[in-house]
Amino acid sequence: MPPQLRLNAVAFVSPQNHPILIRTFVQGQDELKYHYIAHTSLDVVDERITTAIASKSTECYLNLLYTMEDVAVYGYMTPLKVKIIIALALTDAVVRDADVLTIFRALHTAYRQSVANPFLRLNAPIDGYNDHAVLLAAGSPKWKAFRKRVDDIGKALQHRFILGSDSGPFPLLSEEIAQVLTS
Amino acid sequence: MNSYPAELLVQLAPVMFVAGLDVQAQQPPGNAPPTPSTEQTPAARQDPFYILSARLKDALSVQRKIGVWQPEKSKTFQVIFVNKDASFPPRKLLRPEDPQHSAAHSPLSPLTPTSPLYPDGIIAPIWIRKHTTLLPSVFVMFMRIFESPPAQAGQDDREREAEERRRDTELSAEIAHRKKSTNERGIKLTVVLMASRRMLDDPTLDGRLTYIRRQSGLDPRAALFVLSPVSQAEIGDFVRSLQDALWEPALEYYTNHSKRVRRKRNRHSQVASYQLPLTPMASAGIARPLRPEGWTVRYEYKMACFAEFRMEDQVALKHYQDAYSTLIIMFGSTAILPPRTKRWAEAKVLADCINVKVCTPPIIIGLSLTYTVAKIVKLYLYNNEHSLALSHQNSHMRKFADFSRGWGIGEETFEFWSWLARQHRVFAELLEQGTRSTLKIPSPYPTPAPSAALLAAQSLEASQMGLEAMRVLGLNPNQALQHPGFYYYMAARCTERRRERFMTALESESEGHQTNSPGFINEKKVDHLAIVLEASNIFSFLYTRAYELFRKWNPQNTQNPGRLTLWIAYRIAQTYYDSGKFDMAVRFFERIAKTYRRESWGSLLHPLLSQWYACAQQLGDVELSVRLLVEMLAYGANASEDDPDALQDDLLAVLKSTVPSVTDEPLVVDLSESKSILDTSVVFWDPEVDVGIPAPFQLILSSQHNVSLSSIPFTSLAIHFNTDVPPVVVRHSQADPDAEVPSVQRFDLGQIQLIPASPDTHEVEAALRWAAGSTIVLTGSVSSGTPTQISVSKLVFTIKESNWWIEVPIVPRAAQLEHALTAPRWLCSVDPPRFVPIRREDHTTVKVRWRNHRIQVAISHDGPAYIGEEFPIEINITNEDERELDVVLDVLLQPTEIDEAVNYVAMDDQRSTSLLKAVACGVLAPGASVLKKLYLANDGAPGERVIDISVQSQSTAQATTQQQPVSPTSPTSPSAPPLLDKTETLRTLAVPAVDPIEVEHTVVYRRPTRPQPGLADLETFESCKRDEAAAVEAVVTSTLRVVASSGLVIENVTLHRQDHKSASVVDCSVPEEDFSGEWLAGDELCNRCRVSVVPDEDHPADPIAGPGEYEVTWRRLMSDGSHGSRSTTRLPLPSLTPPSDGLIALLDAPTTARLHAPIPLRLTIRNLHPTRTATATVQLEPDATADAFVVAGLRHGRVPILLPGQEERNAVQVAGAGAGVGQPGGGGAQGTQGAVESQAEGEEVEVVDVRWDERPERVEDEEGNEVKVVKGRDGYVLVLP
Repeated sequence: MPPQLRLNAVAFVSPQNHPILIRTFVQGQDELKYHYIAHTSLDVVDERITTAIASKSTECYLNLLYTMEDVAVYGYMTPLKVKIIIALALTDAVVRDADVLTIFRALHTAYRQSVANPFLRLNAPIDGYNDHAVLLAAGSPKWKAFRKRVDDIGKALQHRFILGSDSGPFPLLSEEIAQVLTS
Repeated sequence: MNSYPAELLVQLAPVMFVAGLDVQAQQPPGNAPPTPSTEQTPAARQDPFYILSARLKDALSVQRKIGVWQPEKSKTFQVIFVNKDASFPPRKLLRPEDPQHSAAHSPLSPLTPTSPLYPDGIIAPIWIRKHTTLLPSVFVMFMRIFESPPAQAGQDDREREAEERRRDTELSAEIAHRKKSTNERGIKLTVVLMASRRMLDDPTLDGRLTYIRRQSGLDPRAALFVLSPVSQAEIGDFVRSLQDALWEPALEYYTNHSKRVRRKRNRHSQVASYQLPLTPMASAGIARPLRPEGWTVRYEYKMACFAEFRMEDQVALKHYQDAYSTLIIMFGSTAILPPRTKRWAEAKVLADCINVKVCTPPIIIGLSLTYTVAKIVKLYLYNNEHSLALSHQNSHMRKFADFSRGWGIGEETFEFWSWLARQHRVFAELLEQGTRSTLKIPSPYPTPAPSAALLAAQSLEASQMGLEAMRVLGLNPNQALQHPGFYYYMAARCTERRRERFMTALESESEGHQTNSPGFINEKKVDHLAIVLEASNIFSFLYTRAYELFRKWNPQNTQNPGRLTLWIAYRIAQTYYDSGKFDMAVRFFERIAKTYRRESWGSLLHPLLSQWYACAQQLGDVELSVRLLVEMLAYGANASEDDPDALQDDLLAVLKSTVPSVTDEPLVVDLSESKSILDTSVVFWDPEVDVGIPAPFQLILSSQHNVSLSSIPFTSLAIHFNTDVPPVVVRHSQADPDAEVPSVQRFDLGQIQLIPASPDTHEVEAALRWAAGSTIVLTGSVSSGTPTQISVSKLVFTIKESNWWIEVPIVPRAAQLEHALTAPRWLCSVDPPRFVPIRREDHTTVKVRWRNHRIQVAISHDGPAYIGEEFPIEINITNEDERELDVVLDVLLQPTEIDEAVNYVAMDDQRSTSLLKAVACGVLAPGASVLKKLYLANDGAPGERVIDISVQSQSTAQATTQQQPVSPTSPTSPSAPPLLDKTETLRTLAVPAVDPIEVEHTVVYRRPTRPQPGLADLETFESCKRDEAAAVEAVVTSTLRVVASSGLVIENVTLHRQDHKSASVVDCSVPEEDFSGEWLAGDELCNRCRVSVVPDEDHPADPIAGPGEYEVTWRRLMSDGSHGSRSTTRLPLPSLTPPSDGLIALLDAPTTARLHAPIPLRLTIRNLHPTRTATATVQLEPDATADAFVVAGLRHGRVPILLPGQEERNAVQVAGAGAGVGQPGGGGAQGTQGAVESQAEGEEVEVVDVRWDERPERVEDEEGNEVKVVKGRDGYVLVLP
């Protein structure tokens, strides 16, 4: 049986390390904990980025950042330096990079679609706004679509987790996420 | 590793006992009067053997350090210094004489009633201690061999020998005694005899040594060494060779132990197979003997230890694992190992230890578990098998977590967490030890290859398949080794939980619930508070440790500490807070908040601020409390929509109830690093205003939607501008303090004069109260008397309440991040509130500039300009301002793209091909004007010429005050220095330039009719002589047409001859006559001139430059009738390309003839071919139809052979027979060219009537051959009656 990935939390962090959106999918757990995890993992992300720059790597996927207590934290950086950090529940099983990457790609797509929203810039001054503000605005409570997309991905994963063993081989995951994204 | 018995974790190495190096025992036995041993005389210290012993001791003791992490496999011993007569612990309790001896057991055996392990213990740290400190594998004894003093005269040799023999026998006896005890244990005994250098050369030495060995019964191999005092380096060599020699015996010693233990284990496991298990019920309460599983564990552990002594890590690992798994079986069954007994605790430790050893591998029961685990972990790590180590560690923790639940000490008990914390801690400490030496923490992220070449090499090596497979595999995050900081952190977290659980347990107890947990009673018995304190101490220690390690492992060594570090720092701060060390906590909070503020992680900052505030409260630091409360207000920390007043109520309460430490100066709460308490924006309506004109602005102050500031007693607001003027002060005044604050209020600040500043402070009144999400708009206008830039530099809010005086400065930020997407607004209506977005970027400042000068620049010219003339352009500058202005003019002629066009502009006495700079026009009084004439001279081809004209005006009043001379900026630069009262007016002018006169040439070529010079004429061969024979006459007809639209006054037309070798003007139709007069557009003049051209023999197709040019001198005819300046246009003659000839016949006939009068017809046949001869026949065929001519002369004849360049003239007399135009004859000549083919059929030779001889230029067909064009074939003569 393929391992089940359980997504505990997702964080989007801007290139200037400001939080864009942090969502947790664990009931009854301390949400603040994931804020801390997202923030602390930036250290490792920075380190990885330095490494990547040194080796001229253009890989977005930053692999496992660290494990702490009951979560394994993975990182991803979009080409425009937005960092996506996810916390997976720690299990004693091999986590396939391809699976994590699928989740990241889905989240990246969700993010991209949300930032592309032209209405984010509706009230912006003609020449005074910067893209950074747009990123931050996308995650603000005022704009619900981004939250919804991310939550849908979280739900899709959780759904799989609950379904457990009978949900077949893992490639289905990407299909489900794709469904969520297109719907 | 101080949390578990060190014995269980230390890396084991063969033990070597060293005796005889005791310094005090080193009194040379030969010295008859022994010096008092209590004090070391200098002589004793200089004794070479004393130094040797000391050095040996040093060299041996540094051989190996006792450490947990010792992966090197060098052949080094664990050296322990003992006395020569050191005794070993008894093997069995009973003396060997005792008849029971064979049945007795070791004092540490569980079978021995006095053993600490009786009756069912498994193994104790003391056992390992026995093997590491009490029992060696090798015993090395250092002794002095007797040396008789240097032979003295009179001393008997025999006496000396006898003495030596006696001493040697004593020595042998001592060795033999020692040998007896070591032999019992199978321990190798080695004796090192120390002798002087002199002794080594003594021939009797060998014999004496043999005697000693034989007497003492030492082994033949590696049992006897002789050492003399040597240097430090040589001692090192000796120690190394000693160890090498003793390594084998040491290993053998441990192998023997292993074999013995294995035999015992086999015996036990066989016994176990048929032994009936005792029911636990039956044996409850009574001592139960150790069960077979226990024995297995015991023996496996022993074997593992022995293997470790032998440095056989793999074997050790195997045995540890076996021990561990058996131990797990024991734990799994409460029957075998009832929980919460002493044995159970012991087993647990053992298991833990085994675990560590396996990882780098560690077992002991109770303790042993952890140690076994630790040992296992250690051994794995030696081999860099990180994931195996981690997985072992994890599965150990998981299994025992499961067991713990079974034993009733699950996650809800503090014991569980204490145990878990210990696991993490042991692991962390192990890693820390390891990383200090050889262990490398792997990174899950592929490390960058150091060079591209290496990368390429690697990629070659690793096949694509292999890489793919690795990608697919991914990794188990649980088995990714991290640096020890993480594990310390985990340990700290567990300890924290442990404390929580303990507190809960205490609480529930105080509520009357009786807890029967033995551990709890145990801990409680000690002292609750001590426990709590200890726990907090431990975990603050652990956190600190984690903190340090995170710092160490964080590569960002800049001033910015890692965020992980901050998190742990926050935990430490919390710990300090919990344990009441508030001042420490505050220091941490201060540091942490900086990063959180900068990266605007509000979610992290809120709890931090709250806790910080709580600390400040505890410390009684009211200033800090106020600061924090204001910051919390700014962040809206802990604020909810339901209760927006909570925070301000807190602040008010503090303000009312406390007194600041300093009352005579304000407490400044600077929030520049964090969010400001109010959102502020300053908007100027206009980006620029003129001097003295008020610039309207609005200052919008809005509170956050979830924080109410309605009762914060703001007393005033000072608005500071960026200029040096006193701030504008807005004082609070509210008629009805209880009135509800409207969502948008507007107050007028009036007009503010900034420069020159009014001496009085500008003060207005407004209600400075904000409800949640309300806005106050302050409107006003500023004006300045001088040009400047105006912005609001800061706003200072003053809060006064009882004794408090607080100032909150706020810098209105141009772009607060969260508002960056919302354009600044301009209030245009209060009720209903309506805002207009200001979509300018520079809305926060207004620029005050000088009013523009009113300068009129008029430019006039009569375009287009003609090539070759100086074209006048009039620039008329009028001062329409009220001030006197100093005007300066710049002119820039843009470079053209026309080749070789050298244009220039000229004004006054300046002349330039590009820029005329600072042409002074003088000071213009109001209303005055100045006229400047600019001349543009064009050359080259027609086209457009572009001129930029910049008129700079400067007020004279300003100019006198300005010390610095005005440096005019480049005329294209639109910006003048901001403070100069200066205006620049720019004009760009495009002037088309056209040719005033067009010319058209037509050229025809004629053959010369005069006789050619003879072939042999020597003159023709002279140099510098024109080749008249080849000369062709060209007739150039030039038509000059005036195209200048304005018309020209032509003064003169002349042909300037420029004769040269190939061409010269023979004559010209332009005589020196007067063409002058006004010519209008379309007027033409036609000129003809004859040019004698000698084509180049070698390059007949090359054009020949025209031998002259027409020069037309003219003036522009102005619209007002006047004439412009004199200009000259030069029109060169065209270049000439005369055609060439071959064999040609020229017919020369008069135009008219009298009837019946004879007229001469001359036919000249020329062979102009450069190389071939020509044979021509001439034939005169009178017109057959009209017999109009009578011919006298040769009608048909053959011309002599014509050499190249030769001509033959043939004259015929013809008389007209009738009047009219007649053709004297279709004269024909046939010629054959080429001497050889004279008999062949000839070609007809062209007969050209020289009167009509006009050929156009040389024409060539596609292949470059000349095409002959022949005109005027037939000659006509008009015969008059």
